[in-house]
Amino acid sequence: MSLHDTLIYINSTVESISSQFTRLPGSSIILRYVRSSYQNDPARSVLEFCLFLFAVRYFLASKYSVTKKDFVRLTDGEIDELVDEWTPEPLVPAMDEASQTDVDKIPVIVGATGPKVKLATGKSAMNLASANMLNLVSNEQIKQDAINTVHEYGVGVCGPPGFYGYQRVHINAEKDIAAFLGMPAAIIYAQAFNTISSVIPAFAKRGDIIVADAACNIAVCKGITISRATVRWYEHNNMEDLERVLERVSKEVKGRPLTRRFVVSEGLFENIGDICNLPKILELKDKYKYRLILEESFSVGVIGKTGRGVAEYYGVDATEIDIISGSMANTMVAGGGFCVSSEYAVKHQRINALGYVFSAALPGYLAKTASNAVAIMTTSPELFSQLNANARAFREIISKSQYVYSPSDPDSPLIHLRLKSEILETRKIDDEDHVLQDIVDECLYNGVLITRNKYVQSAENFPILPSLKVQVTTGLNKKETEKAALVVKAAISKVVAKIPKAKH
Amino acid sequence: MSTYSSAVGSVVANKEERRRRSSSIISHVQPETIEEQIDQAALPNLNANWVHNKGAWIIHFVLIAGLKIFYDLLPGVSQELSWTLTNISYVVGSYIMFHYVTGIPFEFNGGAYDNLNMWEQIDDGDQYTPTKKFLLGVPIGLFLVSTHYTHYDLGMFVLNCIACLCVVIPKLPSSHRMRLTVPEVLSSTRES
Repeated sequence: MSLHDTLIYINSTVESISSQFTRLPGSSIILRYVRSSYQNDPARSVLEFCLFLFAVRYFLASKYSVTKKDFVRLTDGEIDELVDEWTPEPLVPAMDEASQTDVDKIPVIVGATGPKVKLATGKSAMNLASANMLNLVSNEQIKQDAINTVHEYGVGVCGPPGFYGYQRVHINAEKDIAAFLGMPAAIIYAQAFNTISSVIPAFAKRGDIIVADAACNIAVCKGITISRATVRWYEHNNMEDLERVLERVSKEVKGRPLTRRFVVSEGLFENIGDICNLPKILELKDKYKYRLILEESFSVGVIGKTGRGVAEYYGVDATEIDIISGSMANTMVAGGGFCVSSEYAVKHQRINALGYVFSAALPGYLAKTASNAVAIMTTSPELFSQLNANARAFREIISKSQYVYSPSDPDSPLIHLRLKSEILETRKIDDEDHVLQDIVDECLYNGVLITRNKYVQSAENFPILPSLKVQVTTGLNKKETEKAALVVKAAISKVVAKIPKAKH
Repeated sequence: MSTYSSAVGSVVANKEERRRRSSSIISHVQPETIEEQIDQAALPNLNANWVHNKGAWIIHFVLIAGLKIFYDLLPGVSQELSWTLTNISYVVGSYIMFHYVTGIPFEFNGGAYDNLNMWEQIDDGDQYTPTKKFLLGVPIGLFLVSTHYTHYDLGMFVLNCIACLCVVIPKLPSSHRMRLTVPEVLSSTRES
């Protein structure tokens, strides 16, 4: 074919295409658009055309996923094979020797609990292993009221508070607790452990900052983990370290969007028994613009002249603490937990705290019991001076022991006893828990029921030192408490003295 | 207290969501941690899923028409200016909505999407999905139309073109999870 023929062919093709094109509906608009847009400006037209081409390319591209597919598709045969191969593990694994001993050593109480209990072995013992510090467990009025409430409200509500579970007794208990602690409002939860671990995530979210005491109990730690907030720990009760951490955080967040920030501490530390330095924490949290969440499970109804907890202990106004949570299962001898704070913070929890929204409400009789316990605490403040006197009497005697020391506060009725480090060294004690268990057994043999501090180390963030846990109660008078202290002291001496000193 | 000190991390180390070469103003959002992935998968992303609805597509044209009518009603605004303003308003609005604001306004997954803007949340970050094609087509179409009706005035053309590119470039697959850092911010973060 010659060049001429080719040109004629091309020409005719173009002509036929353009005649076809003009026949298309709307083609005149496109032609007009192209003609008018050219306007002797080829550069701009090229740019527009490129943009158009790009859009077309984008539309024609096929979808792809940016997330990697990290799973294998199995055939039915392979699935069957895997199912056949699978042998289920037992739901409850067989216990190892240590846990078996732990279980065997648990004493069994016959009848009601109280300051003096009867054991299944037939012996009776003074009970210093229960959180019944004000001995409200033995209060007949509380028992009778609980029975009456069961008759009126039944044993439980079987529904969360937002769904038929919120009854008059709950409303009253909330009012009573708020009034007792001098705070604007209160909310009660069905479970003590879930209280603080719901309160923290209700307020702190991912990106928020929590500065927490390293010795906080496991409920607090779980709450912090669930919240997904960024957590920074400060050394236990070390206010210089707290200030250092706050200072560092404030430098790091400079120029970043403002997020919620909380200081979290326990009032009376469950695993140590000492009391947080509240005035200094309040000073620092105000200085660095944080809010304070205080976990007072072991301090409300325990310390302070009239049992109002750490705030009263230091003579601070409780409203300066933003959020206080606590347990009604300890000295209030009921069950569940409470959180007191401002009206707004309480309302927020009613729709945002997981433990409140999704748990069946506290049984009515427990709410009534908590109300009654608070009423007794209000009308008989002498209980707390008795409790304090007992605690100090116990400490007085136990401090003379050459084998143990107590990290707990002298005012705390929750007393931890640890073996002195020089004893551990000179006697080469590796399994401290075993020695402590022997002491507990020896005490029980002599009629005093105490316990080791029990925890799951693998679930904790920081190591907890093994200790004996003694909870003094007003159910025993001063003489009996002193007698119990002497028994504990003697038991410690007897067990430790039996362990030979290591030769150097 | 050795365990204690090792557990004390830095807020920035935990929160550092961007990886950046020294002196580069371009950075990429770090891949999600396993916890964040779990939280993201916990519930459908209500913040990003509504863009697939028919109404969500139609509303773009409704808004553009509304803007055009609004600017036409203003006294003293010429047709050229009215089209340019319409284009720019639409572009600014969609930039803020799809590319500037990060995270989710509602609380249902513990802030697992806090580092991602809405464009990156749509279709879990998949590219070339129908909705993304539509959302990219609208500003390009609007640009072509508005340059046509501004009668190819050079100033208006440049304005419209820049505005268009501002929303087209962030939508490209290569811009996925990319962030530009303003130099002042860079120097302040380098200090800490």
